[in-house]
Amino acid sequence: MHQTKSERRTTLTESSTYLNEAIAIWLRDLRSEFRTRYALNAILMFAVTTLVAVSFSIGSFRIEEAERPFLYSVLLWIILTFSALSGLSRSFVKEEEAGTIDVLKLSARPQAVFLGKLLFNLTLLGALGLVIVPSFILFMGYQINLPGFFVAVVISGGLGLGAGTTIIAAIIARASARGALFSVLSLPLLFPLMITCMKGCERAAIGINSAGWPEVRIAVAYVVIMVILSLFLFPLVWEE
Amino acid sequence: MFTLKVSDIGKNYGETLLFKNISFEVKRGDVLAITGWNGSGKSTLLRIIAGLVKPSRGQVEMFLNGEPVSRESRRRFLGMVAPALSLYDELTGLENMEFFSKVRGLSGDRKDCLDIIDSVGLTGHATKACGDYSSGMKQRLKLAQALLHKPPLLLLDEPGSNLDSKGIEVVEEIISKQRQSGVTMIASNEKREADYADRIINLSE
Repeated sequence: MHQTKSERRTTLTESSTYLNEAIAIWLRDLRSEFRTRYALNAILMFAVTTLVAVSFSIGSFRIEEAERPFLYSVLLWIILTFSALSGLSRSFVKEEEAGTIDVLKLSARPQAVFLGKLLFNLTLLGALGLVIVPSFILFMGYQINLPGFFVAVVISGGLGLGAGTTIIAAIIARASARGALFSVLSLPLLFPLMITCMKGCERAAIGINSAGWPEVRIAVAYVVIMVILSLFLFPLVWEE
Repeated sequence: MFTLKVSDIGKNYGETLLFKNISFEVKRGDVLAITGWNGSGKSTLLRIIAGLVKPSRGQVEMFLNGEPVSRESRRRFLGMVAPALSLYDELTGLENMEFFSKVRGLSGDRKDCLDIIDSVGLTGHATKACGDYSSGMKQRLKLAQALLHKPPLLLLDEPGSNLDSKGIEVVEEIISKQRQSGVTMIASNEKREADYADRIINLSE
């Protein structure tokens, strides 16, 4: 049957992959963020302020040496988690506030939008980690005996933090009390991950090695479960 | 051949009935105007057809060469311009077009994007930030965004809003070209815009 030029052009778009669409969304978000520093400022200001407050008030001298691995691990993950919560919801909230959410719905597939926003949030978390983790180690005198294990826990935990907060950010984007709702919904979801990563960092600091790095495996499993669940759930959240 | 079939569509917001029993079928070459008082549901009807709002009852179907188009694929077959749809203010006009081109699975080719920007009369403004555009320029860029993938279904909600006489000519040209290749639906209270149509559905009746 005869097909018009425009119909043929439309059919060609079938060849677009989720990954290409997700990368386009990720790069656009990065470009927008680079120009507005909408989320990065919020995250970094919270993280730096908290880090400075913690290092001045506690420092590396007021805690018994035996307690340092546990307390420093807890403090590090509290700073990372709450810094993430202060800014990671912006990726979806900004689309809603700017009125661009509908044109994005008309242009991209829901799963691609989720993956693009996830990549963007992970990029922000990566920047946060690069600034905060070395600063924390330096200011607090945080000694790590198993650096490879420590880095693996921080990376896998960061991926989990990104995956958990991205789907919650999508859910709360249309709500009125977004800020409070984001924290309230995120904390129960992130709590198991936080505990696991705190435990992993404590063991890396003390130097207790165990085969298979169980905390890393738990965090990676959390990431896989969250991403798979989110890819199924997100279209329901995204479409009215 | 592209066909849009709307069957017995109705929309309620809670207890409030917006409209009901709207049925029509349009095919390539048709221009349909949706008119009605403010709040009669013109924009909502277009949003239902675009898949942005779910109807309370009834269904929207699209067919390409007689084959039904799945709900997930419909976004590729339609372009929409509406007052509530905004583009990215922090990006330039060209960057907006390149983004929408890539995210729609097109090439994202700069020349194609510049061509479509030129076609809506924004020559020379492509590298300005969209946030610095006037409301009329933004409306032109929205038209460019809707036409980027040459959709067989064009949904225009108040297409002439904020446009000067040259902008109105651009809209007329777009509708004239779309008449040869696809379906156009216009939601408006402007008599001039309703006059572009072959058929009119008045939601106030």
